Amino acid sequence: MTDFTWLIGGEAGFGIMTTGVVFSKITTRSGYHIFDYVEYPSLIRGGHNAYEVHVSGDDVSHLSPTIDVLVCLNKETYEKHKSRLTPSSLVVFDKEEFEIKEDIKKIIIPFKKILTDLKGQSVMKNTISLGASIGLLGGDIGELIKIISEQFAKKGDEVINFNKLFVQAGFDAVKKNYSELILNYLTKKPGEEKLVLTGNDAFALGSVIADSRVYVAYPMTPSSTVLTDLAAWQEKIGMVVRHAEDEISVINTAIGSSYAGVRSAVGSSGGGFALMVESLSFAGITEIPIVVFIAQRPGPATGMPTWTEQGDLLFSVFSGHGEFPKIVLAPGDNEEMVELTAKAYNLADIYQLPVIVMSDMYLSESHKSVTKKFIDEFVKTYKVNRGKLIDQMTNNKSPSFVKTSEGKQNYLRYKITEDGISPRLIPGTPEYFYQANSYEHVEDGHTTEEAQPRIDQVDKRARKWVTYLKNDFSMPKVYGEIDKSEIIFVSWGSTKGIVIEAQKQLKAKGINSAFIHFNHIYPMDIDKMKTFFKQNKKYVLVENNSWGQFGKLLTMKTGIEIKNKILRYDGRPITATEIVHKVIKL
Amino acid sequence: MANIQDFSSYNPTWCPGCGDWGIGVAIKQALIQLGLSPSSVVAVFGIGCSGNMNDFLNAYAIHSLHGRALPNAIGIKIANHKMPVIAIVGDGDCYGEGGNHLVHACRGNHDITVIVHDNGVYGLTTGQSAPTAQKGFKSKSTPTGILETPINPLALTITSGATFVAQSFAGDALHSIAMIKAGIEHKGFSVINILQPCVTFNKVNTYQYYLQRVYKLDSNYKKDDFKIAVQKSLEINEEKFPLGIIYQVEKPSYTDQLSQLKESTLVDKNRFTDFDKIEKLFI
Repeated sequence: MTDFTWLIGGEAGFGIMTTGVVFSKITTRSGYHIFDYVEYPSLIRGGHNAYEVHVSGDDVSHLSPTIDVLVCLNKETYEKHKSRLTPSSLVVFDKEEFEIKEDIKKIIIPFKKILTDLKGQSVMKNTISLGASIGLLGGDIGELIKIISEQFAKKGDEVINFNKLFVQAGFDAVKKNYSELILNYLTKKPGEEKLVLTGNDAFALGSVIADSRVYVAYPMTPSSTVLTDLAAWQEKIGMVVRHAEDEISVINTAIGSSYAGVRSAVGSSGGGFALMVESLSFAGITEIPIVVFIAQRPGPATGMPTWTEQGDLLFSVFSGHGEFPKIVLAPGDNEEMVELTAKAYNLADIYQLPVIVMSDMYLSESHKSVTKKFIDEFVKTYKVNRGKLIDQMTNNKSPSFVKTSEGKQNYLRYKITEDGISPRLIPGTPEYFYQANSYEHVEDGHTTEEAQPRIDQVDKRARKWVTYLKNDFSMPKVYGEIDKSEIIFVSWGSTKGIVIEAQKQLKAKGINSAFIHFNHIYPMDIDKMKTFFKQNKKYVLVENNSWGQFGKLLTMKTGIEIKNKILRYDGRPITATEIVHKVIKL
Repeated sequence: MANIQDFSSYNPTWCPGCGDWGIGVAIKQALIQLGLSPSSVVAVFGIGCSGNMNDFLNAYAIHSLHGRALPNAIGIKIANHKMPVIAIVGDGDCYGEGGNHLVHACRGNHDITVIVHDNGVYGLTTGQSAPTAQKGFKSKSTPTGILETPINPLALTITSGATFVAQSFAGDALHSIAMIKAGIEHKGFSVINILQPCVTFNKVNTYQYYLQRVYKLDSNYKKDDFKIAVQKSLEINEEKFPLGIIYQVEKPSYTDQLSQLKESTLVDKNRFTDFDKIEKLFI
């Protein structure tokens, strides 16, 4: 079965990213699955960019330790990645640009000469290397030309034909000189239609499916492509996307639009979210639904903007002053991102509170192929649930409407209810009015400093958590069988695919493991949680941070302490290989 | 048609003689005269003595955080651009804590009306100096006199892109009503800076102080001339306070420029379901 990694590297600012996405799409269109990952510095020009694609015949969501085809647009690419080569790896480079002394399988492509002969700009080295890569992997050049044509459709035939020359030159150079080394990895095979999505794309798509109508953001890596995706689609889908002046304005714009009746979301990374938290508490007391997308990166402060970490879990869980309920979700991959994003909008509406969807650079910026069938099936089953929204037709009957002593209509926005949820009215509904009040308030929204109404409202808001745990909380999914395993992994969010791969590798070594993966992070059902931790087994906490933050949350909530920890906080994602190495030593 | 009782909720808790009383009445009268009702207007309140009007005025409302009323108002307008949206804020609230939002709300020409209670102090926190306090103003937070020069709200908003900038005086309710009405009727971002004596904590900018220094713009004043408006607004720096519409021009508002809102408001739109259109971008 096909399973290989292709990596292209070069100087930042030379189109490596676009080239990588084109490569991913060729492979998915040829019937394969992909998971890819980019490494880039926080610069626009200069520095090193690397884009790797893990291609597989099966669904995939992890990286491979080895590289099968390494395309070096500069010497640095070779130096940085040569440790991941195997004796059978192929290295594409131009010996006019640099020499490789080591005894490896060299595929020499005369980038320089082709550029000179065809009068191309240096950025077109990418196009040549795509042609060469497809040739080397036994792929269909027609598919590549089709994508190039789509990409440059707006620029006209002349540009398309010019690009084709470079594709062909790369392809022919391989066919002519290295026919004996050609791998038939990309032979076209029947397969389902697939979408090549990043986690950010999946959040954007999930938001559209959920009928979100307002998205507000201020650019911050690695969350920015949600903003640019939705901004590009807004007229088509009837959404309004506002790039506000700062993150405080971001969340308050969305609180305003949500109050006025439309599903609204915001997105940022940890630093931008830090600016939002006073307003998160405001959404908490006013009970205005809001979805907050957080794509984490290593902090503190500016930290390492273009790298990955799961360092904002406890910050998110405990964000906001005062005591108010919120829900925190952390999808494990793109499929879960689509599902949980759409669910987040329902939860925000049902419970009238902030729902945080957590991602990180690894999940947000890596592409993973998702079958179109999966999306289409999800769209069919997903129901928009606006919660207790008072319907125009039935509103007179709602117990939230009472008559004042003067005989006037009064609407109790914060009516005390058993489940903690008070029926909500869309502003503009005739006959009524109400205020959403950031001060503590009585049932009809007026400010209060009296003891009993304060207690009643605090308790009412807290009951929303009880209702949520009863109706909508999902238990962590267990991969493998706890009873039959000696090693039990505990992790959350984006590490899902990596740990599952580690389980496979351990299995091959005869070690059975199970994996408890959390994506409904907070609040959690403590009693149910304890059932997972009764056995006398080796529990191993896996997190992309230095504190083991989920472990701390688990201890705080359940008293359970996981002693074995595999933590990584150098800005890079944890790999299956390192998990396996560490588990073996336990 | 709504009357003053319809708009009246709890009795105000402002100090006797506070300029907020005049502004409170002016807002209600302006809404009534425009034919609005508590169900057909949205008010967003900041935090401060001015923001406390949330409990005294009946309307669809948000009592926001300190400084954040403007982005709330912008969000409401985006979701339902057919409803008039007013922001009732203070000088510390809007020019201090929320100063960044003000500048950018001007740039966006969002169709909201901002009514600023400008009294030079933070009344609700017992009298610290506000961004509009004159240089040297002594307060609990600036016991030797404030070092900063005051914000010029008129010049700031005119040069930031507001399309309606007016000034009135809390002691002149009829003029304040006229300004608030004109602001709400104006299509685009409108600011009404209302000079408001704080009888408890500001012993400098009193009713007497203002009565001696305010004057109404005459009927020949050219309010659509940017340079004249900027010049006029600079008179504040010499403690001369022009009352009236300092600047007004017609420009498309933020929501006017959104093609997705041409057919209906965002809240009333039908759900988008043609997901294939988005999916195909990723294949």
